[in-house]
Amino acid sequence: MNTGKLAFPMPLPAGVGTPSAPGGLEGQTSQEKPVRISVRRSRVDGCSTKDPAMFKTEELQINIGPQHPSTHGVFRMLVTVDGETIIDLKPVFGYLHRNHEQIAEQNTYLQNMPYTDRLDYFNSMANNQAYAMAVEKLAGIEVPERAEYIRVLMVELTRILNHAGALGFLINDMGMWQTQLAFGMREREKILDLFEMASGARMMCNYFRFGGVVRDLPPEFMPKLKELLVAMPAFVDELERLLRENEILMQRAEGIGILPKELALAYSVTGPVLRGSGVPYDIRKAEPYSVYDRFDFDVPVGSVGDVYDRFLVRIEEMRQSKRIIEQIVEQLPDARGGHINPRARQNVRPPVGDAYARIESPKGELGFYLVSDGSPRPYRYKVRAPSFINLTPLGDMCRGYKVADVVVILGSIDIVMGEVDR
Amino acid sequence: MTVKIERGQIVTVERGKRTARRLPGMGLLDGMAVVWKHWAGSFRKNQGFNDIHGVFTYEYPEERPKLPEAYRNMPILLYDDETSHELCTSCFQCERICPPQVIHMTQAKDPATGKPVPAVAEFVIEYDACMSCGFCAEVCPFDAIKMDHEFELSTADHQKLTVFKEQLNRPISYYERIAPTMWAEVRDGAMKKLQGNIKRRPDVIGMAPNLAEKIAARRRELEAAAAAATAPAAPAAAPAEGRKLTPEEKAAKLAAIKAANAAKKAGDTVEPPVAPAGAAPADEKAARLAAIRAKNAARKGEAPDAPPVVAGEPAGEAPPADEKAARLAAIRAKNAARKAAEGSDGAPVEANVAATEPAAAPPAAGAATSAAEAATAPADEKAARLAAIRAKNAARKAAGGGSDAAAPTTTGNVDSGGPGASDDAALS
Repeated sequence: MNTGKLAFPMPLPAGVGTPSAPGGLEGQTSQEKPVRISVRRSRVDGCSTKDPAMFKTEELQINIGPQHPSTHGVFRMLVTVDGETIIDLKPVFGYLHRNHEQIAEQNTYLQNMPYTDRLDYFNSMANNQAYAMAVEKLAGIEVPERAEYIRVLMVELTRILNHAGALGFLINDMGMWQTQLAFGMREREKILDLFEMASGARMMCNYFRFGGVVRDLPPEFMPKLKELLVAMPAFVDELERLLRENEILMQRAEGIGILPKELALAYSVTGPVLRGSGVPYDIRKAEPYSVYDRFDFDVPVGSVGDVYDRFLVRIEEMRQSKRIIEQIVEQLPDARGGHINPRARQNVRPPVGDAYARIESPKGELGFYLVSDGSPRPYRYKVRAPSFINLTPLGDMCRGYKVADVVVILGSIDIVMGEVDR
Repeated sequence: MTVKIERGQIVTVERGKRTARRLPGMGLLDGMAVVWKHWAGSFRKNQGFNDIHGVFTYEYPEERPKLPEAYRNMPILLYDDETSHELCTSCFQCERICPPQVIHMTQAKDPATGKPVPAVAEFVIEYDACMSCGFCAEVCPFDAIKMDHEFELSTADHQKLTVFKEQLNRPISYYERIAPTMWAEVRDGAMKKLQGNIKRRPDVIGMAPNLAEKIAARRRELEAAAAAATAPAAPAAAPAEGRKLTPEEKAAKLAAIKAANAAKKAGDTVEPPVAPAGAAPADEKAARLAAIRAKNAARKGEAPDAPPVVAGEPAGEAPPADEKAARLAAIRAKNAARKAAEGSDGAPVEANVAATEPAAAPPAAGAATSAAEAATAPADEKAARLAAIRAKNAARKAAGGGSDAAAPTTTGNVDSGGPGASDDAALS
């Protein structure tokens, strides 16, 4: 093996491993840790040994998926390998395509709300919020203060449960079968219990309406939420203790699947993947929607942009979400107004125009673009799905690594096929 | 490394080991400690939301989670326990809003006239395509469709997932049990609307089809009522074997409302040409008072001071007090209506009398209704209904014939109208 040669598929940008924030991260810069970059043999000679005739290898095209437990759904990766090394990877999606946008254009605005639950079925509340915001923007509906707080509360709970699940699946993909997943799922179940109390369903919440939420929080919700907040730091700390310094995890995650900052920006990657690459971009801060400008919270960013950074960013985001929820619990009793704007009609008929609303969903920027022609049905309905956009640089992230790393890299992007394919 | 931004900061996450002097493998051992802690915790139950260790699973088929009230799975249709009337009026709101379009219904029609009736003939929900969004329950203006808590719907027969009205029907008491506060919020409005709709449902239309014996009893009652309308002696014959449908209170209320409506109609139509302008409000008041009095008398159940002057009763046993009271009330209402039509000046006097009578009523009213249910109820209801019909007829006659309609000429009304008139004369 030609181990000495370092052939990264793209020229490594100067930003990798260097500070991203303007304040400077020089002291931090990954402590000059040698980033493991796998060797990639040249496509041209096909063999890197001294004697080409002896170890002549061929490129091989194989499919990972569409029915593969590591692909998080029906998703196919057309991988060109040379031995164990990935030379090229093409993500092929569309197996779960169910005409979501076309269906939405034949439904009324309200009828689309339960359909948005099915996009990213882990984060139905976040989807609901993005869609409700888009329609409210289009139709000019105001949301009472209390409703906004309830919305933010729900979306932040969603973020915690998404990251708890996503990290569990990531560790699952690494081979630590079910341990962390079970721990994460337990916390997730508690949050789902809260969702069930409020909205009536655990996953397909369908809780948001134009101008608020469908019903106010039940009286038993807040005590349970406070109990959950007591347990939350212990859970996150335990998760960190279990995995953060775990040597096996570090070997599988450090330096794997590096997504350079420039490349991430070029691919319009958002969410924890982008922040893991060191770009401090969070819509909650960049363009504060709802009542996010009233809460103190930090934006965690990574420094290298590998799987490990994404892992750490997600852990930190759970802490920040918990911080936001604590502030909501403090501020909510004072919030005026009911849970829904009583004048908001649900069978909206927005004026002619278009609107784009975006939120920081747990997976990234989730946006809904709606065009109205004045009828009760959207003329055009477009979802800017974070999973889909974040999946596109998969080929560049995997190139040069081993086949076993592909699974981990895919797990670190945190995709939900329901949102990718729509 | 941190950068301050508005209301927070940008934090670069710390990578790798936190202490440089750690031995290799310590991270693994640390993780093992966590797993060990969970293992040790698995011998006890999870204490609640603030506990992250312990067994948190349910032993499902034996042990079931308590579902929150708001839980929604599949839509069901409600019907009233007492009358077995369905709350649904086939307004098509749920069919229209259903995102996957799995609700289908047809509106019931009156077989006699062919006009649509506020009741549903058939109602189908395709459970296999239902997405449990709960919109149908949200939009229903009559609170007829609600979301069930039943979630064990798996079946080997796909056809069973197309659910018809008979399987969708649940009594209100069932929903009240699974969602008490949510039902309490809407109960009053729903029941009021239901009462309004029952009035517009002829025959057994709108009754839950799975209550065959109730419907049979109702059919018998309707037949008996029809017979009673032609031959007034019929109601006091042997009481129908079927169970009672509505408490007599409700029936009497219905009668009173009908009487009041009829009286009002009579007053509106006939008054302007006949009566002087000043007398009009008094007349209307009198009619309304009479209606209230009729209601009170009926509710009183056994009116001790009610004079047993009702003629036309069979010679055998004495008629039940309820029936007597209801009939009396109807007579009074009729008289009031007639008076309203005539525009007589005696109305205020009568109103005074009417006002004093409820005050004199003994407070045994509430108990009497429930006590007198079993045996006498069908007769009572029948009598009340009959009285209402008579009152309406009288009012109509009064409106149509003007002042000379005071003399009852119809054969059906002779027996009760005659004494009623004398009673009224005695009062005024």
